[in-house]
Amino acid sequence: MQRYMPDWWALPAIDDNNREFFTSGKIVIQACKSCETLQHPPEDVCHACQGTTFNWRACSGEGVVYSHTVVEHPIPAALKERVPYIVVVVSLDDHPQIRVLGNLVNIDPEKVEVGQPVHAVFETIEDKENDVTLKIPQWAVVN
Amino acid sequence: MQGQSAIAGIGETTYYKRGQSPKSEFQLAIEAITKAVEDAGLELKDIDGLSSYMESRNDPARLSAALGMKNVAFAAQPWGDGGNGLAASVGIADAAVSAGYAKNIVVFRALAQGQFGRFGQSKPATHVSGNDTFSAVYGMLSPAHNCAIQTTRFMHEYGVTQDSLAEIALTANAHAQLNPRALRYGKPLTREEYHASRWITKPFHIYDCCPENDGAAAIVITSRERARDLKQTPVPILAAAQGLGLRDGAPLHNGPGFPTSFNREVGQQIWQRAGITPKDVQVAQFYENFTGPVLMAIAEMGFCEPEEINEFVANGNIQGPDAKLPINTSGGNLAECYMHGFELINEAVRQVRGDSTCQVADVQHSLVVSGPGYRPGSAVLFSKD
Repeated sequence: MQRYMPDWWALPAIDDNNREFFTSGKIVIQACKSCETLQHPPEDVCHACQGTTFNWRACSGEGVVYSHTVVEHPIPAALKERVPYIVVVVSLDDHPQIRVLGNLVNIDPEKVEVGQPVHAVFETIEDKENDVTLKIPQWAVVN
Repeated sequence: MQGQSAIAGIGETTYYKRGQSPKSEFQLAIEAITKAVEDAGLELKDIDGLSSYMESRNDPARLSAALGMKNVAFAAQPWGDGGNGLAASVGIADAAVSAGYAKNIVVFRALAQGQFGRFGQSKPATHVSGNDTFSAVYGMLSPAHNCAIQTTRFMHEYGVTQDSLAEIALTANAHAQLNPRALRYGKPLTREEYHASRWITKPFHIYDCCPENDGAAAIVITSRERARDLKQTPVPILAAAQGLGLRDGAPLHNGPGFPTSFNREVGQQIWQRAGITPKDVQVAQFYENFTGPVLMAIAEMGFCEPEEINEFVANGNIQGPDAKLPINTSGGNLAECYMHGFELINEAVRQVRGDSTCQVADVQHSLVVSGPGYRPGSAVLFSKD
């Protein structure tokens, strides 16, 4: 799918903490190997047991809009061609305590609401500068 | 050990719109500090400690050389690059004076965004790294976006109305009409103008957002005893507090307390330390980065339940010297000057001294709550000597 933000907008610099999230094509959350607690965004240390080894838990990609803002004023000014755009915080159905940020890509900004069911969609972007295929998670209202 | 130190002097420069200060930021800092020291009846050579916040560019070495300080016995800033450190910068100076680490500490904030560029305007490079990847990639990179997301959820959970956000903006602007120092002096704001104004990031209109200004403000903290021998009536620091609850530090709205202004623990601690309750406070200053987080802070500091916030701020309950709880009586960040909240410290002191431009009767306790939505939160409570 086409990118929601402009083509020139910032891409994630991939590191060990965000590689799964931005390249797997799934909603993937960090899970502590010792106590299995899930946390997002990924951290070097488990918030529950201070463990330092992790694996990744793939989720269904279903969730609800927990909060949102519609950005009307472009910061920086170069975004003036893109506003208004929607930023949502999505609470995952599998793990409601986990909240993931993204854009809501298939709805008029006037129509975003807390509680709307949404599902993950992915923007495939070839990041030639870093030789990586990104699959940036985004959110779409369930029709 | 509460109430061992006191504010002996306050000072501020003329306040300017962003980029309009004829002086450099460092010159503004020196001017405000000099005025605060003069107000106290002290001399610059008496100052032996410095405190600020928000990663102040005006560092102790440069300041002490320019001020002619004989010794810097104490120099510190609380952590945090937001207005959350405002009251904490006073709190650590209070602790240092009470412990005897320094005698006369200047606490200040100076800001010349014309000279140094603007806060909250960062443009991402072609790639972002760290936690920014999970937010900036989606066009979420300004404090306004962060606070808007908190506010949307707060409004949803507690039925908070846009008119309640408006009350914070209208109150600040109304109080600025009484204050010749205020940048909005002579420019009243109506409810109709508020609602008709352009959106920045919903639910914030332009009038929900702090402006950007230049200037400096400062205070001198000394022991309560020494303050009694100086020029002004001492304004004791009854209590100060910082706070951040369990996993409230989790990034990107993943803390269990979301939505929060990070003031729940601050509130509990400050009332416990002071031995009073919110009902004993006659006037309060709440750092406005944006109006929504102020509503959250009022509730989290214990002035009302979040479900009661619409009523708490309506019907003139927070506006004017005779209100139930007058807030931001100088115009605050929104309408006096966005001095990263330091104008609120000076105003809280004025309310105890009795020389505010919106003077509340018989002030025994005067509260300042720091920048909401940034971590850790903090607050400071002044009292009559």
